[in-house]
Amino acid sequence: MGPVVTESVAADTNVDIQVDGSAKPPKLVVTDLVKEYRTKKRETVLALDHVSLEVADQEFVCLVGSSGCGKSTLLNIVAGLDMPTSGTVEIDHEPIIGPGPDRGMVFQTYSLYPWRTVAENVEFGLECLHLRKARRRERVQELLGIVGLTKFSDHTPDQLSGGMRQRVAIARALAPEPDVLLLDEPFGALDAQTRRSMQDFLVTVWRRTQSTVLFVTHDIPEAIYLGSRVVVLASHPGRVIADIDVPFGAGQNVNITRDPRFLDLRDDIEDLLGSV
Amino acid sequence: MTAVDAPASSTRSPAGPGRGRGRGRRQHALLRLRGDIPMSTRIALAGFGIVVLFGFWWLAADILVKREFLPNPADTLGGLQTYWNSGDFWSDVWASSLRILKGYSISLVIGAVLGLLIGSFRSIESFWESPIGILRYIPATALVPLFLAWLGIDEAPKVALVIAGTVFFNIVMMADVARLVPREMILAAYTLGAGRARVMGRVVLPHCLPGMIDVARVNLAAAWPMLVVAELLAATDGLGYRLTVLRRGSEWDQIFAVLVVFAVIGITSDLFLRWLRNRVSPWARS
Repeated sequence: MGPVVTESVAADTNVDIQVDGSAKPPKLVVTDLVKEYRTKKRETVLALDHVSLEVADQEFVCLVGSSGCGKSTLLNIVAGLDMPTSGTVEIDHEPIIGPGPDRGMVFQTYSLYPWRTVAENVEFGLECLHLRKARRRERVQELLGIVGLTKFSDHTPDQLSGGMRQRVAIARALAPEPDVLLLDEPFGALDAQTRRSMQDFLVTVWRRTQSTVLFVTHDIPEAIYLGSRVVVLASHPGRVIADIDVPFGAGQNVNITRDPRFLDLRDDIEDLLGSV
Repeated sequence: MTAVDAPASSTRSPAGPGRGRGRGRRQHALLRLRGDIPMSTRIALAGFGIVVLFGFWWLAADILVKREFLPNPADTLGGLQTYWNSGDFWSDVWASSLRILKGYSISLVIGAVLGLLIGSFRSIESFWESPIGILRYIPATALVPLFLAWLGIDEAPKVALVIAGTVFFNIVMMADVARLVPREMILAAYTLGAGRARVMGRVVLPHCLPGMIDVARVNLAAAWPMLVVAELLAATDGLGYRLTVLRRGSEWDQIFAVLVVFAVIGITSDLFLRWLRNRVSPWARS
């Protein structure tokens, strides 16, 4: 495990992983996860079939798969919003029993509070931690600086573009300093240009905050571009069919998407998903 | 394009003769479904609506019916003046409004609390669904004899009838408002460390507030009929009671004046609640 770091990276985070990533115990461990649903017709649907997964500290892992592969279900279980039928999820050897601020979550849409300003949205998780007002303000300003929205702190979400809203959602999820950042197709509702710039933005934030990221998407190039590892899930039932170390680091070079290695990997994953 | 040139297009309806040149169905400027119309047109049509209402009233009173029990708007205005000068006006308005205020406030509190809980928790919904489903189809007015027997003839049965006649509407519609809170907003709050109470207070409530005020506004229109029924049957003051007195004296112009008073109170409270909605939830302004 651990990505191969290419020449363009001077960032300490990646080097860190490479140097002692293998020695480090994994941050997030998913073991033999099974999730069954009962449909209204009383049929049992297997959404996740013995899924196991490990994510190292400060790693950026993308879960990719077509609809129905249970990737969002998996993410929800890690977030503690859904309970598995069997199997365990542990972070730093502690089992997950419910949602908590140690696992920040970013949804595709509709998760910002329109009655709160940008700053107040970011502040939400800090209120839950019962921090003092001055400390909260300080942290909010710091986060708005990281996501480049300092000038918009008093705007309301409806005054922002889709990309900016997702930046707020990311800042809000990062506010309580989570151990793991979970993102469920966060750029799926954005146009292609915005999506591209948000991907670069996310990588920058990941480097700056040294977060551990689990990113769900159905967009294969997005997964390869962002992830230092790509986990491929097949559908019906949802299961891991490949776990690929991306050889060119996470989204550090915009031109990588034209690189033959990138395109080969994209085709390989497409074939994988197409063949099952 | 002629039929000879394009026999394959026969499944599509032809442009048709006399429909004019060009493709597509021409749309009427004022009669497009969900279509927008200019502000000036909207104002003109609104004014026209009021003119039609009063025009029709006048027409019916002075030409079609011509009976004393249907006074025209001018007579009604005279009746309003008489009623105003009689000294009963403000005490009636106050007595009725106070009963509405008491009864409807209680109804709103019950409706808001129960509605938000039902709309947010499946367990509470399942528990209350059947009892409310059964009770809400009992006409509240059918409870008048019981209320009079149980609660006497003073304020209590009137307030009780206002509650009984509106509380189920309020509960059911407030629950619908609570169901409209996007799941993502609730889930995001959970992942940010919020507990159940905080999610209810900081996410569900603020999201529902404008919708709840709208519900309050709509159902207030159902509170007044309840009050009038109660006052018609047993009261010594209030607008409904005044109607029974005026009916005995055949003072039709003043009866119409009372109807106008109902309308004015209704419009005023409606406008107030609209204002309040925009005031407390500017983010939800339409």
